[in-house]
Amino acid sequence: MKQKKRERLYMFGGAFIAAAGAVALTLTALSQSITYFYTPSELADLEEAPTRPIRLGGLVLDGSVKHPTGPTSGEQITFVVTDGGAEVRVSYKGLLPDLFREGQGVVVQGKLIGANDLVADNVLAKHDENYMPKEVADALKEQGRWKDGDAGS
Amino acid sequence: MTQFLALIRRDVALAFRADGGALQAASFFALIIILFALAIGPDLKLMSAIAAPVLWTGGLLATQISLEQIYRPDKEDGSLDMLVETNGALAGVAVAKALAHWLSTGLLLIAATPLLAFLLNIELTALGPLMLALLVGTPGLSLIGSFASALTASLPRAGLLIAIIVSPLYAPFLIFGAGAAAAGAAGDAQFLPNLMLLGAASLFAAAVSPLASAAALRFNLD
Amino acid sequence: MPAPQLSASTLTDMANTLSKSIYAYANPAVFEPVAERIFRLAFIAALVFAGFGLYFGLLNSPADYQQGDTVRIMYVHVPAAWMALFCYSAMAASSAAGFIWKHPLADVAAKETAPIGAAFTFLALFTGSIWGKPMWGAWWAWDARLTSVLILFFLYLGYMALWRAVADKTRAARLAAILAIVGFVNVPIIKFSVDWWNSLHQPASVLRADGPTIHPAMLTPLFLMIGAYMCAYIAMLMASMRNELAARRIARLEAEDHAKPANLVET
Repeated sequence: MKQKKRERLYMFGGAFIAAAGAVALTLTALSQSITYFYTPSELADLEEAPTRPIRLGGLVLDGSVKHPTGPTSGEQITFVVTDGGAEVRVSYKGLLPDLFREGQGVVVQGKLIGANDLVADNVLAKHDENYMPKEVADALKEQGRWKDGDAGS
Repeated sequence: MTQFLALIRRDVALAFRADGGALQAASFFALIIILFALAIGPDLKLMSAIAAPVLWTGGLLATQISLEQIYRPDKEDGSLDMLVETNGALAGVAVAKALAHWLSTGLLLIAATPLLAFLLNIELTALGPLMLALLVGTPGLSLIGSFASALTASLPRAGLLIAIIVSPLYAPFLIFGAGAAAAGAAGDAQFLPNLMLLGAASLFAAAVSPLASAAALRFNLD
Repeated sequence: MPAPQLSASTLTDMANTLSKSIYAYANPAVFEPVAERIFRLAFIAALVFAGFGLYFGLLNSPADYQQGDTVRIMYVHVPAAWMALFCYSAMAASSAAGFIWKHPLADVAAKETAPIGAAFTFLALFTGSIWGKPMWGAWWAWDARLTSVLILFFLYLGYMALWRAVADKTRAARLAAILAIVGFVNVPIIKFSVDWWNSLHQPASVLRADGPTIHPAMLTPLFLMIGAYMCAYIAMLMASMRNELAARRIARLEAEDHAKPANLVET
């Protein structure tokens, strides 16, 4: 009986240590940020630019969207993705989601060519967690209480 | 302790017999990879790019077909009842069973990986991270798999049910395992975080599986 | 052996003596009328909540400053996602209760919650997909939130499959309970997936430390719809628990008659 008790103690002790180790590992890994997408700053901090296709998330820089062949032609479009710290130029050919506009959060998928240029084969729009009627948004902007979207984070 | 080691030795020996789980799993693993390679066709570049995820998926499926063998034969011939009576803590039996499964099936699959990886034209630099990820992740597969086997020990045909139960629980291993292998091959900074999360998943399985298996076995005794 | 048909009144007597204890509700004769009353109340409440919720949600609430009218998908998507998590938590909790206190109703509640929860999970994934296409530009993305909810759906299916596979109900209840409790690890992962990883899915906008980030005019229909979903869950749970208890009773009676093996009748 005594032996059984000791074995049970080992079991629960072992389970507890394993669980604690799992939590510790998870927290360490998360602090090193495992990502669905990179932000431009994270990309700039990398020692070596990744050669495989990546996802890049951030805001479309105001005034950076250029359609060389007109906005509705579905042809080549270029814009700049920023997170306030660094910027990456993106070129893309294809359909854009409804939410795509300047100042909007986006996640683009594609390959880096050079340090700061990305050729995207997919552009997804990311919306933030704020929901409000248009009038409220306008009023907030007027009062200067608008905190600019942080969709990149 | 001697009982614990004897149980492991017995299960490993059984797994390597002609009808044992380990050899069947390894042949199934090889077949999956060969079929995949045939399906991909002559594009060697594409093949080497997807080698690691294909090997992870294949290893995972091959593990699944070996799981039924962990507890059901013991349940059928009555040796499970003997084990429970002669061993104090049932969770100890569960640990020995999972460990034996990893030492036989898990290690055999890992040993087969480099050979199959070359059939998929893998880059040499990608092989190391893949093997490391498999070493970290496969113990978790054995632990969770033996839990599913314990749950279904009293069912006559549990193979498909085990696959249904185990697949969602295996998903994190596949995500972080293949993620670590891919990041490691590309020399990406995401390698370590992925590997740590894979290790965390294995550790978590080590914490939960023995106790959960023991509880399941208790209700599967007659 | 007492004939079960005659025992209704004796059972009620027994139940009266036991009525102080929760175990009284394990007795179908006691549970039945209570369940029926709860079912009616919850059913009506669900209709009322859904009526107001849909009226405000679809007709009488503002469009979003960015998403326009598409935001109205939120009123069916968010409650479904919440119920997906709530049902799994309820299933794990009543599994634990059934496991620890061996209360048969807890087992039945856990078993009957699973298909409802799976349906809510499917609804959340489906409406999310419809929402994702116009907003994100993709039906599906393999980000942490979407993937973990998809895993939740398959956990429900595995749980249901295990119940089906084990013929002996008591054993099935214990084994399925263990599986439900082990699978619960996915629930916090789903909840925090949007905070831990950079995901395409937005972070939490209602249950967050600094208060909701949804305008009150949109929060009202959202909460009404959550009420509707919750009441619908309760109503469906009561109906299917009664169903299950009746099916077991029929199976028991027929087994006693030796007319048919029980497993041909029970589902």
